[in-house]
Amino acid sequence: MRAGLGVCAVLIAMLALVGCGGSKKNADTIKIGWLGPKTGDTALWGKAEYDTVSMLVDGYNAAGGIKVGGKTYKLEFIGYDDKGDPAEAATIFKRLASQDHVVAIVGPQGSGEAMGIASDANAALVPVVATTATNPKVTVTEDGRVNPAMFRACFTDPYQGSVAATFAYEKLGKRKAAILMTLEDAYSAGLSQYFKQSFEKQGGKVVAEVSFAAGEKDFRAPLNTIKASKPDMIFMPNYYTDVALSAKQARDLGINMVLLGGDGWPSENLISLAGTALEGCYFVNHLDFNDPDPAIQDFKKAFMGKYNRNAELNSYMAHDALLMIVDAIMRAGSLKGVDIIKALEATDTIGVTGHIKIGPTHDPLGKDAAIIKIVGKDMLFQEKMRGK
Amino acid sequence: MNQFLQQLVNGLSIGSIYALMAVGYSLVYSIMNFSNFAHGSVIMLGAYFGFFALTLLGLPFALAFFVAASGTALFAVALERLAYKPLRDRKAPFLYFIITAMGASIFIDNSVIATIGPTPKTFPQASLPSFLRSGSVEIGSLNVGRVDIAMFVITAICLAALVLFIDKTKMGKAIQATAYNMKASALMGINPGFVIILVFAIGGALAGVAGVLYGMKYQVYPQMSSITMKSFIAAVFGGLGSLPGALLGSVLLALIETFVSGYVSTQLRDLFAFGILIAMLVIRPQGIMGKSMEDKA
Repeated sequence: MRAGLGVCAVLIAMLALVGCGGSKKNADTIKIGWLGPKTGDTALWGKAEYDTVSMLVDGYNAAGGIKVGGKTYKLEFIGYDDKGDPAEAATIFKRLASQDHVVAIVGPQGSGEAMGIASDANAALVPVVATTATNPKVTVTEDGRVNPAMFRACFTDPYQGSVAATFAYEKLGKRKAAILMTLEDAYSAGLSQYFKQSFEKQGGKVVAEVSFAAGEKDFRAPLNTIKASKPDMIFMPNYYTDVALSAKQARDLGINMVLLGGDGWPSENLISLAGTALEGCYFVNHLDFNDPDPAIQDFKKAFMGKYNRNAELNSYMAHDALLMIVDAIMRAGSLKGVDIIKALEATDTIGVTGHIKIGPTHDPLGKDAAIIKIVGKDMLFQEKMRGK
Repeated sequence: MNQFLQQLVNGLSIGSIYALMAVGYSLVYSIMNFSNFAHGSVIMLGAYFGFFALTLLGLPFALAFFVAASGTALFAVALERLAYKPLRDRKAPFLYFIITAMGASIFIDNSVIATIGPTPKTFPQASLPSFLRSGSVEIGSLNVGRVDIAMFVITAICLAALVLFIDKTKMGKAIQATAYNMKASALMGINPGFVIILVFAIGGALAGVAGVLYGMKYQVYPQMSSITMKSFIAAVFGGLGSLPGALLGSVLLALIETFVSGYVSTQLRDLFAFGILIAMLVIRPQGIMGKSMEDKA
């Protein structure tokens, strides 16, 4: 019984603390929320985003904060782990919007999570700028209406898929492609569909499209099916952990053709996980990390200096997502969701990932994609490319 | 035909990992009559022990294997002492054991996520002996991974040693007797506490071996324990509590899985795996080779 009382007392104390956290309102701060995976397969990217946003927020505050409507505000950063799970993301969104009262949100990175919070974001009118959620349905609903509160800093999958297909068809001269993907992930399923459309429109043929179960570690059964279809390349629109494993297993099965992927590939860990299995393979990325552009290099150095590791793709994307939000808040001169959304729609600025001009579907228009080749332990920039 | 043989080889290699893991479930079940769901987490720890022994301590491969196996054996025994013994002393219902095991599993997995981090790791190729490096051997038109061959051999050695131990040694006979009837064997002078420790130590050591092998073949990551759910199905399929059953169930399950994903659809694979579990529990609840008993799982 005494133990029970103790537990009660602790619970009450915790509730009280939570209550304080929720009701504490500081008039001179702007709260910026973030959600993304800090655990699970894509945790590396989630952490990269979290660290980037918190570093940049510190930077804004050290420079005196930002001016909105003649008043100077400090930024406050609140981020939670959504475990890369759409259902969890919806819960986290509600917490950020109704408990923490954030003004705008950076993230999520996954298309599935972004779609999971879209309807809540529209209802709450809390603007969300997704970092790497490339599925078109993130900003535009199934029936073609634009989600008012959803924006993104990256290009979309139809665009990325057509860049990959054009590169495979025109530059690599491939005609028979196989696709290894998972139907359980919106990003993978969407990107393979757009690649297939564009590749076949240009005259190529997709000879096998094989799906694996999410969380799979043994890809040899689907890879054998692909091998039997005799393709001259394999498109892998998957995340780097899956890519590394499936590439290794493909090589073990004597599948030696070139592999091509999308923006799920770039990661500091890709090559250390894959060993030599990805030698000479290509992927589509949002930018070239080694671009001499000082904006990119300064950011890269700052991140390295603070965290002693390389910035991930998601760091660059989170940088631009936050930039879009801060830019919109300052132009709106208001902290109201509706005003910020209006300002976001008129975004026309230069980020580290290039020129960001938001179009009618809330997507950046005409961003160049970068083709990257894996050579040894390096990811070498090949050329800038646009889709067809 | 060629594709069929290739899928067969893949199925056998997956089956051998399932078997190493399933044996741990079966051993504990045969003595304590409950499914030790923390076993998967012990396997995951084994993979990390092996990984760090190789990379941080720079031990030679065979020694790293030994460190991993003894580490997990100790850990499994400690887990039994800390988590299950208090329940046994209080004669708690079996349900409590299962809940405790699940709790321990979640605790261990999350401790690893919090301390080591969630990013997957791979065994550095340079630290492995040449017969374990990635790459394959061509037999006719088949490609058989070197890791797969090594895994098959190591699994066979471990399981043969286990069977010999249980059949030929006094301690092994004690395990058999306790599995048959704990009360009666206690009256015959067999210390059940000792047998339980022994069973956890053996299961733990095999878990360590399985973890290192699995980590070498795929990756080392904290959520590894979830795949051991499959080896649990294999154990139930073959008959919980029966060692040959665990082996047979593992190989059969792995073959069914590979052929379903190779010829039907990978998406349907788990549907088949779990469907088999349900069908088995309905038609023959004791599994292929298990003894008939009242409660299962």
